[in-house]
Amino acid sequence: MTEIKNKNKLTFSQVWQRFGTLCIMIILLAVLAILRPAYFFKPETISQILSQSAVNILIALGEFFAILIAGIDLSVGSVVALSGLITAKLMVSGVAPVFAVLLGILIGAVLGLINGILVNATGLHPFIITLGTQAIYRGITLITSNSSAVFGFPVGFTKFMAQRVIYIPVVAIIAFLVAVILSFLTNKTKLGRNIYALGGNRESAWYSGINIKLHTLIVFMISGICAGIAGVVLLGRVGSAEPAAATGFETYAIAAAIIGGTSFFGGKGKVFGVVMGGLIIGVINFGMNLLSVASTMQQVVMGALIIGSVALDRFVSNKK
Amino acid sequence: MQTLAQMKNIRKEFPGVTALNGISFDIRAGEVHVLLGENGAGKSTLMKILSGVHKPTSGEIIINGKSFSRLTPQDSYKQGISVIYQELSVINSLSIQENLFIGHLPVKKIGPIKIVDYKTMNQQAKQILQTVGLYRDPKTLVEALSIPEKQQVEIAKALAAQSSIIIMDEPTASLTNAEVDYLLSIVKRLKKSGKGIVYISHKLSEIMAIGDRVSVLKDGGFVGTKKIGEVTQDDLVTMMVGRQIAKNYQHENADFKNAPVIFEVKKLTRKDGKVRNVSFKLRKGEILGFSGLVGAGRSEMMSSVFGAEPKETGEIIIGGKTVNINSPYTAIKNGIAMVTENRRESGFFGNFDIKKNISLLPYIKTSSLGGIGGFLNKSAEEKWSEEQRKSLNIKCYSVNQLVSELSGGNQQKAILGKWLAADSKIIIFDEPTKGIDVGSKSEIYTLMRRLADEGKGVLVVSSELTELLAVCDTVAVFCEGEITEIFSRNEATEEKIILASTRSKKTKGATQNDRNQK
Repeated sequence: MTEIKNKNKLTFSQVWQRFGTLCIMIILLAVLAILRPAYFFKPETISQILSQSAVNILIALGEFFAILIAGIDLSVGSVVALSGLITAKLMVSGVAPVFAVLLGILIGAVLGLINGILVNATGLHPFIITLGTQAIYRGITLITSNSSAVFGFPVGFTKFMAQRVIYIPVVAIIAFLVAVILSFLTNKTKLGRNIYALGGNRESAWYSGINIKLHTLIVFMISGICAGIAGVVLLGRVGSAEPAAATGFETYAIAAAIIGGTSFFGGKGKVFGVVMGGLIIGVINFGMNLLSVASTMQQVVMGALIIGSVALDRFVSNKK
Repeated sequence: MQTLAQMKNIRKEFPGVTALNGISFDIRAGEVHVLLGENGAGKSTLMKILSGVHKPTSGEIIINGKSFSRLTPQDSYKQGISVIYQELSVINSLSIQENLFIGHLPVKKIGPIKIVDYKTMNQQAKQILQTVGLYRDPKTLVEALSIPEKQQVEIAKALAAQSSIIIMDEPTASLTNAEVDYLLSIVKRLKKSGKGIVYISHKLSEIMAIGDRVSVLKDGGFVGTKKIGEVTQDDLVTMMVGRQIAKNYQHENADFKNAPVIFEVKKLTRKDGKVRNVSFKLRKGEILGFSGLVGAGRSEMMSSVFGAEPKETGEIIIGGKTVNINSPYTAIKNGIAMVTENRRESGFFGNFDIKKNISLLPYIKTSSLGGIGGFLNKSAEEKWSEEQRKSLNIKCYSVNQLVSELSGGNQQKAILGKWLAADSKIIIFDEPTKGIDVGSKSEIYTLMRRLADEGKGVLVVSSELTELLAVCDTVAVFCEGEITEIFSRNEATEEKIILASTRSKKTKGATQNDRNQK
């Protein structure tokens, strides 16, 4: 009868999983509100945080899936750059922005698919595969762009990307829509459930009839598509396609997923948490700028935050 | 003969189980002392006490005239005891000679600094390798060696440590016949040089060939010590078994001759040779068990039937229809279920609660597009899991509890629940009660019988003979990848099964001759 003793009692671990990120967010906002009340209550501030976080949240949403199956995708930064560059070149050469954007996202999907195929074919850990493709995709970006930036997009495109609907930037709405779709995928579809199962226990998943290779492909494709969309959004925000764009962005994406409660060991995490994780990073960055923290110091803080949140995750999941 | 070590009245209690109940055992110089018993009889526990892994609850160990109440691994090593486990512990990334002397590398001094003396090491290694008949350059990396060669390195390691007692735990489990012969010749040589050898094995013919004395354990108790020359293989089998079976789960006078065949495997063969030409039939209402030694190919056969590992040739027939199974997904679609041996590794999902664990299978079975198509249905999940919780009596505070928090027996029931929720027709159990307490065991047996009575096909792989005899209507015995005998419940005895599982088709003639000479 030992099983029955902790009836209906939430463990600390469960509480943390549900409300941990929310708590961090509230604490952060409170600190900012106290230190810089004048800025904090302006809608302009929120608008700015949202618009700055959009790209990272988009990448993190894809990264989330890679981590969910106990893998990782280090190539996302390069995928952002390459799909952005292709979109930019197409637009500059006169292709209608809508098609250029769709093709750019398609490129992201293909690059993700290649990651998945390589992982399946070699059986190597995604860390190694995507470490390699990160360099390859970046190299292709440099070659294709001839190492120089592409700019001069149709005005309609840049205008649309810069638009706001009552203080809410379009780019944030895009990120929000992607999050809603992926949240639906994880919570309402068999595919989503299978991905959690695969991340939780690969061997059990195989014995339960889950096609591991197919799901690995899909996961990396999702990661690629998200990075592709992020590439297009970044294009709109920056106004040009830099060959070195989004370098190191995978770090922030991984950080957002982990801070948002995604378990590095696979099988645990929520889309909502990832969005929160991305926003937390956005708030921290914004806050540090507001408090005039040197950008070099910001790196230190971010690094400490990643270690801290993973350590906490491990501590909590071992605690039972 | 000089006695090297003596264990007196050793008791070992684990929480809830008495693993050893007053065992006495001695090892003499120049002798092979065989330790015999079924799985779980206590052989390994006894040897782990001698090697310092376990601390005895009570009893005395006398080595070289010194008395110990317990040994630490360091004591054991210092007293000259070496163990060669079934899972070899050589370090692949080091050379043979480094493996031999690891922990006591020969050193030389250059001024005040001690450095490894590779020259001495090489010379000594060469000598030792000759004794064990391994003709390899001592500088060869161990990873380049075959399994039997690695085993020779293990033996050489014991010699390099100047051990007087060498314990070998099922050393021939993964060797071919020729390799076994070679190993036995090495053991004989060690014996001649005055080492005391403890030899653990199930293979009776081997024991007869190599042993001087044999001690038999059963359920942690001591059965007896005999001189090999004074016993036959049949005597040994009788000593090993003869335990009382608490309860049987078969129906009296059940007759399956005229029952329809619901599942059949025809001439299943695997490319890796682990399963060869295996055929069997399962009739409605019957529970079919599979016995055999570890590594005989039973689990491998089931993995291939379930599509988890590839088969080369063979037919699988369900309800008279040949089905094509090439993955667990296709097996599941055809109504086959597999309750695997390792619950934690390949059974349940630690990140899922009971509800999600159970609903995964009905979802997969009803999905389109190879398992990815379709939406979740939360109320169906509730229904599936509640049904199984009630029907299987899964003890939990709610179906939202994590499976990893349940006891072993309830975890097993939850795993069974996912297969039943998917309405599986053929259920394969691989070691269904491994690590499960006695009470839950009988619950699982009752469930298995109920499933068979409901018309589902039940196949059981088990290493516990008492379990097979208590539950199965028919027992097929595996040896070296083949079915050697199929016994009906009335014919099956532990003696017959053990004999059938130690006599492969290949070596049957030879063992027969052995017996005739005796």
